[in-house]
Amino acid sequence: MGCAMPRVRVSFRAMAAEHEIVVDHDDERGAREAIDAAIADVRRIEAKFSRYRDDSVTGAIARAAGGAPVAIDDETAALLAYAATCHALSEGAFDATSGVLRRAWDFRAQPPRLPDRSAIAALLPLVDWTAVERTPTTVRLPRPGMQLDFGGIGKEYAADRAAGLIAARGVRHALVNLGGDMRAIGGQADGTPWRIGIRHPRPGPDRPAAIAWVELADAALATSGDYERCFEIDGVRYSHILDARTGWPVRHWQSVSVLAPLAVVAGSCATIAMLLCERAPAFLAGQAVAWLGVDGAGVLRGTLAP
Amino acid sequence: MAATERVAGPGALVAAALALPGVALSPAAQAQSAPDAAFVQFKYLDYRDWQGGGRRMRVDSPGFYAVKPLSDSLVVEGSLVYDGMSGASPLYFNALSGASGEGVRDYRTAGDAKVTKYFERFAVGVGGAYSHERDYISRAGTVEVRAWTQDRNRTYAFAFSGAADRIHTESGAADRESKYVLDFLAGVTQVVNPTLIVQSNVTYSRGHGYFTDPYKLLDRRPDHRRVLAWLTRANQHFPDSGGTLKAAYRYLDDSFGADSHMLEAAWHQSLPQGWSVTPSLRYLSQKAAWFFYGPPVGSGLRPGQPYTADARLSAFGALTPGILVAKQLDDGWVVDLKVEYYQQKSSWKLGGEGSEGILPLSARWIQLGVGRSF
Repeated sequence: MGCAMPRVRVSFRAMAAEHEIVVDHDDERGAREAIDAAIADVRRIEAKFSRYRDDSVTGAIARAAGGAPVAIDDETAALLAYAATCHALSEGAFDATSGVLRRAWDFRAQPPRLPDRSAIAALLPLVDWTAVERTPTTVRLPRPGMQLDFGGIGKEYAADRAAGLIAARGVRHALVNLGGDMRAIGGQADGTPWRIGIRHPRPGPDRPAAIAWVELADAALATSGDYERCFEIDGVRYSHILDARTGWPVRHWQSVSVLAPLAVVAGSCATIAMLLCERAPAFLAGQAVAWLGVDGAGVLRGTLAP
Repeated sequence: MAATERVAGPGALVAAALALPGVALSPAAQAQSAPDAAFVQFKYLDYRDWQGGGRRMRVDSPGFYAVKPLSDSLVVEGSLVYDGMSGASPLYFNALSGASGEGVRDYRTAGDAKVTKYFERFAVGVGGAYSHERDYISRAGTVEVRAWTQDRNRTYAFAFSGAADRIHTESGAADRESKYVLDFLAGVTQVVNPTLIVQSNVTYSRGHGYFTDPYKLLDRRPDHRRVLAWLTRANQHFPDSGGTLKAAYRYLDDSFGADSHMLEAAWHQSLPQGWSVTPSLRYLSQKAAWFFYGPPVGSGLRPGQPYTADARLSAFGALTPGILVAKQLDDGWVVDLKVEYYQQKSSWKLGGEGSEGILPLSARWIQLGVGRSF
C-alpha cells in the first residue's frame, strides 16, 4: 500500500543478549510507549528468573534445594508446567534441571578444555526433572545442589509477552527480536511480511551471512545452533547443547530453526530438535511446525528447505 | 498441575504454551477479554424516509455511549439516546397517503447500562434499559453469560432478557395497554484460524400483549408473537490486502407470518494513515404477515380478526447499500461516518411477487460518530 507509517526501532540489552523491537505505527509516541512497556516486562522476567542473580525466583528455589518447598506464583508455576510438557514430549531430552552441568562445562575457558568425566558423572544425579516435586503453589528440588533454569523457554516467553503488550496498545505491525528469537505482530506496514535471515552456522568469507530467508507475519521464529557457545578440540565441536542423560554435547545438527505460532513454542521445539538429533524430524512433524535444519554436513533439511 | 503432564498429539506444545500468562496467538485470534481502555463516543443520527415521493418521517438523534473498565475484570457500559421525531406517522399504504397529514411530533429518551464481570473462563453481564416517549414506555432487563475455551478460540454465549412495555395514546386508540417479551439467545463464536472467525446465534423471542400500531387505522394484530431467528456470520481477513470480508445470513421464522431471509456482505478495507472504508450491501426478502391486506384499505377486514395494512408487514424485497468511513486519529480519537440507503419494493421479493399495490419505500441514515479511548 506504500504508506508512510513511521517506523520506531529500539535496541537494548538484557538476558545476556542483544535485542531489538521494531514497530510500524501511526502514532510514534504510542509506539514508543508500547516498546517501553515491552522492554520493562523483558527486564522484569530477566530479574525474576535469572540464573545469575541470587534474588531471583530460580535463585531462591536453588538455595532451598534439599530443604523445604518454596512457594511460587502462578507465572512460575505455569513456566514449570510448560517445562514439564517439554520434558514429556522430548522423552526426557529437554530437562530444566540440566543447567547444573555448566559447572563442569566452561565454554569461555582459554585455551578450551574438556571437563573431567568424573566431574560430569558427579553432576548427573542432580539432573533429574522427574525428581522435582511440584504443586500448583510450591516447588521443591529434593537434592542439595540441584537448580532450575528456563533456557529455551524464558527468553521466548518474554518475546511472546512483549508482543502481547505491544499489540494490546493497538499496534498492528511489529517485530520483537530477543537475541534472534522473534515474534511478529502482523507484517510490515507496507503489507509485506517481515523478512528474516537465518544465520549461516559456519560463516566464512566465501559464504553468505544468511543461509536462508524466512517470511514472518503473525508468527514466531527461533533458532538453536551449536555455534552459540562452543569450542573445538582436535576438530571436534563441543556445543552448549548438552544431553541431560549423558552430560555431553549433542552432535547432529549445526542449527535448527522453527517457525511456529508462538515464540516459546518455536524456541522449545528448536532446542528439543537439537537434542533429539536424528529423531528431530519426526518430533517436529508431530508438533505441526515448519522448520529448517542444517545437518552435520551443512545440508539444509526440513519443511522450509529449498 | 501434577508432575506428569502427559500431553501428546499435534500441536501439543502450542496448547501448553497458551497456558502461560500473557501468551496468546496473534491478536486477531483472541476472542474475549475485558476491554482495557475506557471509550466514549458521541453519535448523531439523521434518518429520513419516503414513500411514493412524499417525505414521511424524520428522526434526528444525538446519542452518547461510554464504556469504562472499573478494574481488570469489571466493565461498565451505558448509552443515552435522545430522538426528536417529526413527520407523518408510518403510513398504512400509499392509498391513504393523504390521510397522514396530521403528523406526529414526538421525543424519545432512552438509556441503558450494563455491568460485565470477567472471570478467567467466562464473563457475566447484567443490564437494564429504559425508554420513554409520550405514548410508549419500555423497561427491559438482560442477563448474559459468555464462556470460552482455554485457548479462547471458541466462545459460547447465552442471554436472557425480558421487556415490559406500556402503550397509552392520547387519542384513546391504546388505553393503558401493555406488552411483555422474553428473549433467549444461544450462540457460539469460533476462531477457525487467525484470519477466519465464524459465529452462529439462535434467538427465540416470545411475547404477548399489545402489538398493534395505535396510529394505524383499523390496525389490529394478534396478541401473541413468537419469532425464531438464526443468524450466521463469518469474517475472513486477507492479510495480503489488509481487507476483511464480512458475510452474514439470517433466517427468521415469525408467527405473524412475516418470515424473512437476510443476506449481507461487507468489505472492510484498512488504508494508510489510520483510514478504513467499509462498503456493504444487505438484501432482505420477507413474506407478508398472514393478516396483512393490500389496498384498498379495509379490504379483507373481518370483524374480530387481526388486520394490518402496514407496509413493513407486506411481502417485499429490500436492498440496503451502505458505506462506513472511519479515521483513527492520534491520541485515541476515532471519527466515523456511516451512510445507508434502504429501498423496499414488492417486486424484489425472493422468487416472485410481493404484495400488490404498495409503493416503493425508501429511507436513508447518516450517522456521524466521534469517539475517544483513554
